Formats: sequence, structure tokens, C-alpha cells
Amino acid sequence: MSGSAGASPSRGRRRRDAGRRLFIATFIGPPLLLYAVFVLLPAVNAFRYSLTRWDGLGEPAWVGLGNFGAILASGSEFLPAIRHNLFLTFVPGVITLSLALFFAYTIHQRVAGARLFRVAFFFPNVISGVAVALLWILIYSTTDVGMLNNLLKAMGRHEPIAFTESGNLLWAIVPMSVWSATGFFMILFLAAMENIPETYYEAARLDGASAAGQFRHITLPLMWDVLTTGVVFLVVGGLKFFDAIYVMENGRPSKATHTMSTLLYSKVFQEYNIGYGTAISVMLFLLVLGATFLSLRLMRRERLEY
Amino acid sequence: MHRRVGILAVLLVVPGCTLNTPDAHQGTTIEVAVFEGGYGLDWHRSVARRYEKEHPGVRVNLWGDPRVDEKLKPRILRRDPPDLASAGLPVWKLIVAGKLYPLDEALDSPAYGQPRLTWRETLAPGVLGDFRFRGKTYAAPTSLGAWVCWYDKRQFRKHRWAAPRTWGEFTRLCDKIKASGVAPLAFQGKYPGYAWATLLSLYQRLVPFERWYAMQDLRPGAFLDPDFITAARMMQEMAVRHFEPGAMAMTHTESQLEWVNGRAAMVFCGLWLKNEMKNAIPEGFEMACFPVPLVEGGKGDPRAVYGGGAESFFVFSDAKHPREGADFLKYLLSLQSAQSYTMRLDSLSAVRDSTAGLAISPELRSAVDVLGGSSRIFQDRIGMLYLEFGANVLQDAQADLISGRITPEEFARRLEAGAQATRRNPDIYKPAPMGVPDLR
Repeated sequence: MSGSAGASPSRGRRRRDAGRRLFIATFIGPPLLLYAVFVLLPAVNAFRYSLTRWDGLGEPAWVGLGNFGAILASGSEFLPAIRHNLFLTFVPGVITLSLALFFAYTIHQRVAGARLFRVAFFFPNVISGVAVALLWILIYSTTDVGMLNNLLKAMGRHEPIAFTESGNLLWAIVPMSVWSATGFFMILFLAAMENIPETYYEAARLDGASAAGQFRHITLPLMWDVLTTGVVFLVVGGLKFFDAIYVMENGRPSKATHTMSTLLYSKVFQEYNIGYGTAISVMLFLLVLGATFLSLRLMRRERLEY
Repeated sequence: MHRRVGILAVLLVVPGCTLNTPDAHQGTTIEVAVFEGGYGLDWHRSVARRYEKEHPGVRVNLWGDPRVDEKLKPRILRRDPPDLASAGLPVWKLIVAGKLYPLDEALDSPAYGQPRLTWRETLAPGVLGDFRFRGKTYAAPTSLGAWVCWYDKRQFRKHRWAAPRTWGEFTRLCDKIKASGVAPLAFQGKYPGYAWATLLSLYQRLVPFERWYAMQDLRPGAFLDPDFITAARMMQEMAVRHFEPGAMAMTHTESQLEWVNGRAAMVFCGLWLKNEMKNAIPEGFEMACFPVPLVEGGKGDPRAVYGGGAESFFVFSDAKHPREGADFLKYLLSLQSAQSYTMRLDSLSAVRDSTAGLAISPELRSAVDVLGGSSRIFQDRIGMLYLEFGANVLQDAQADLISGRITPEEFARRLEAGAQATRRNPDIYKPAPMGVPDLR
């Protein structure tokens, strides 16, 4: 009797646990299945293709690590492409982070028109990358519609500057990239700043801390985690850079402008070198993974609490 | 017994013999996939409807898409391709992989509307040469192209400029145009490949065809030929001195718009230019063309014109109805279809003499005159055969040459190095040296 009385709640608990597990599985199962079919399986396949020579038309031929050897060989297009990715990560990245911090701090200080600035700075972020690139093509155009060249002409310059020519394109992308990304990071940082209790600043002011001192000793340490997230976003975005190059080079980037992503696209879809192209995608995956870990490690600090 | 076998043999053979007659296609649906570009699909559809009328019981399911290649790739892999296609797919990779169906049976059968001639005999000389592999032909172009220099006759008249015949006249004309405040040449700088046909034409003006085709065959040292370097130097001087400022940042439509709007006087382009710019050409614009000028002292044929077949169609070997697909292609390239092609699209068909007796536009007449006055046509096939060499080495080196970033000698060295890498790569198919093709 007592045995059955003891088993009953246990059975009930087991039933409840099983029901709970089923409930969780119902929610997790379908997305997990979709993830496996559309992400994991293709990723495993991509790794398999990267070990083959395949034009996408005939049968793949096993070449082992041959594609990776070719990618890393001197004279390959991959190494300049990495250089371009690093350029597009660090040059616009440093400017974007600095400007975003500055604007977030200024708006946080409730300057006149802060709300308007918040919307205005964020606005470019809601435009798609392709549309941003098309807009800047018009700004840089060497024909009559080119805003920047018309401005230079009004200032006395006779010949237009070919900003979007392959040799100049990476530099031309810097202001575009900064313009479109700053708003997002500004909002991210602003949200972090708004979460810092005002009492810390009041105490610092009573102790005679300057505005710069308050920023350095209160704002920056207390939003460090968010700043780290911002850096990771920029690093990953910079390493995966594709759309602006592809659009501004009209789908035919050159050695002077290829990034890893545009190079893998060209290899797979234009040259039908699918094994080599997927080997680039595997390298890209490893580099993004490594760079993310490295960023997190370099930015790691002891959590600060006041 | 022997009699029965004989009857059976006749029954088996007869359908094969009559496949090209309308009745043989009864109940067949031919699927045709077409790249939907500047020429649209109206002409293709009108021919398909006419074909259906003449072949009762046959349906032509013709569809088009600007991204037809991407739609066809998975179907080729699944071995479920359409019967006939015109797409920007790598034709030579398809040929070598055995994915295309030889057209020779159809090519050697009587042509539609010209029963005394085979279909092959009705096509313009040389247009099939680029698609021959181990004695068989795997594609046929519907269009005939030529690389020429376009100008506006009205603008030339106004300034008393004359279309040049020689390179000397051409450079003097460019100086005159520049002095008048107009840029001599528009250039499609975002696609440096547009310079290749002009450069190859200049090289052809300088050398006999044996040397020109040696380069096409990637013969060792061919790109280091001093005459090739001279042609590259002429190209570079023209670009640096006479291209419209800012041209290297312009797309094909932007630069061609500069020409249409009179800010640049001339532009090198193919015969598709009129179609591409038809919505932008202003009233009174008198489009005309001249061939790439001959070079004084050059040893090349002065009357040869860079041109050949374009908009090629091919039949897949895995298609459900390859013979019917080839038959529809033969119909697309019949004299009647070719004439409607010329009239509807204001462009030249790959069918021989298809403009005879037609009231064609003055600009097309100008192109016909250029081709009519030519001794032969020649066309590059390096870009088609060696995709990586074309997409990387050639494109980058040309961009650097015409921007003045490298010398013509360095340009030649880079192309030779690229050719050497191609020669050494066992994975890249290299056809036997073609020499100078016989176009008859």
C-alpha cells in the first residue's frame, strides 16, 4: 500500500517530465531539423566538396588537401583577398566604432536635437547593403549625376575622379561602410550607456571627475561587454564582406578588389571551379571562427561592478 | 523467316529516316530555355508558334529568364535538362563533359525553306568553327556579331569629321575631336574585357593570321611577340589619351549613354549596341560604324573584321527529345526565321545572306557594309575555352594596361605567364591547335 502510494507521485513526476520533454522537443525539433537540413548538411557537404576537383557538371574527383595547398600557394588570389578583408575590417571598423561611441555619448548627454540625431544616424542601417552600394555608385559617378564629382568640379577640378575604379574602390567603400554602419553601433552603445545608473556619474562629479574621466572610468568599463560584441560584429562583417564589392564591380571583381566571399563566388559560379571555391568557404569559416575567438580573448577583462 | 526479319528491319529504320518530317514529332513537347537579355523573347516565341503550326501535334514550351544559367545548372546535374538552350553556361566544359548532343545529323539534312542546301551550307562561313570537338559540332549561333567603332553621322557632319581608314587617321581624328571639347572615345571601363576585341583587332592588323591563331592556340611565347606588345601599346595610348575622363568607373550603359548624349564621339562595341541603347537614342541621332582601322605598315589582312557567331544554342545529350530540339534549332536558323530576326531585332542573323532584299535600318546597313566589305571574320576563343585565364589574368591585366598602371611589356609577360599556367594545368581541356581555320 505504502509502496503504491510512494510510486504514484513518482510516476506522476515521470509523466510530467516526459510531457515537459515532449513539449520542449516540439519547439526545438522543427528548427533543429531545418538547421540540420539547410545549414549543417550543406556545411558538411561543402567540406567534402573542398577535397575534390569538380566543375559541377561531371563527377567530382578526389584531390585531398590539394585545393587548400593551391589557395595558400604564393601568387594565389586568396592572399590578396584576405588583405582586402582585413582592410575592410579595420579601417572602416575603427572609424565606425570611434564615431558610434562619440555619437552615443553625445546623445546620452542629451544635447539639443538628440532624438532627431538618433533617428537620422540609424536611418542608413535600415537600407539594404545592395541599395546602399547603388546609392553610393550614384554619389561617386563620373557622369553628370555624380554628386561628389560635381562638387569637385564646382571647386575647380577639371577631370572627375574615378572613385569606383578597381584601383580606388576599397578606399571608396570606407566612407560608405562607415555611413551605413555607424547608426547601428551608436544605438547599441547608447542602450548600454542608458543602463548605467546616473548615481555613479553624480558621485564622480562630486569627486571632481571631468567629463573625459567619467567616460574613461565609468562609461567605458561598464559597457565593455557591449563594446566587445560590437567588435565581434565588425570583425565577422569585415571578413564576410561581399555585397558592396559585388555591386560596385558589376559582378566582376578583379584581383585588386576581391574579398574572400567574392572570390569564392567567382570560383564557384563564374569559373565552375567548385572544389576550389568550397575550399575557400571552409577557410573563410575557419578564419571567422578564429577571429571571433581572438577578438573575445583580446577584449576579455574582469567584469566591473560598482 | 528472312522476309519477317526484312520487314522488321524496314519498320525499325523508317521512323529514323523520317524524324525530320512534321509527322514524326506527333505528341512531342520540346522544351526550350532562352537567356532573356537585350533581345527579349518575342522573336523566339513567334518562331515557336510558327513551328507549331507547321508541325501539328508538336508543342514548343519556350521560356526565358535573365538568370537562366542558374536554373539550368541543377537540372544538368539531375540529368533532366531542357531539350534546347541558349545560356551563358561554359559551353566547352559541357562539350568535354559529354553533356551536349552533336548537331551534325541536323546540319547535314536539308535546310528549312532551302531544300537544295543542307542546313550547314545556309549558315555564315565560320560560325560553327568554335564549337567543333572531335569532328562534331555541338552548338549553333543565331546571331552574327562584329566588333566595330560606332559614331553619330550627324555629329561628324557638323564638325566635318570623317570616318578614318587607318590608325594614323584615327589618332589624328581623336586629337581633332578632343580639341573641339568632346571626348573622343567612350569606354565601358567597369568591364575592361571590352578592350580585348579592339586589342585583338589591332594585333590582327599587324600580323598574318598564322601568328594571330598561334596566340589563340596558346603557343609558348605567343604573347611575347613584339607585334602583340606593339598592339598593346597602341591600345594603351588610345586609352590614356582619348578615353573619356572617368571612363574606368563607368558601366557599359553609363559610358554608352555618354556617347548617345554626344559627350563622347565614338565607342567600340558589337552590333548589339543599338538594341541595348534603343530607349536612350535621341531624335536625329544617325548611328553608323566603321571597322577597326588598319595599321600602316601592318602585315595583317586589312579587310578582315573581328566577328563571328553569338547567342548560341545547344541541345543537351540528356534531353528527352534531342533530335526534335535540334530540328527546332534548325527552324530557328531557317532563312525565314533569320529574316524575321533581322527585321524584329534590328540585328544580323547567322544565316548566310539573310538581309538580301530586306529594307533594313541605316545603322544595320552600316554594319552589313562593314561585314560585306570584309575578306573574312575572326574571333577570340580564349575567353570561352579558358575561363580562369579569361576571368582573372586577362581581365586584371587589361584593367592595368588601359589605366596605364603597367607597361605593354609587363602586360604581355602577365598574359604569357597566365597562358603558361593554363598549358601546365592538366585539368584544363586544351583543344588541338586549330591553326588558321578554313571558313569555307
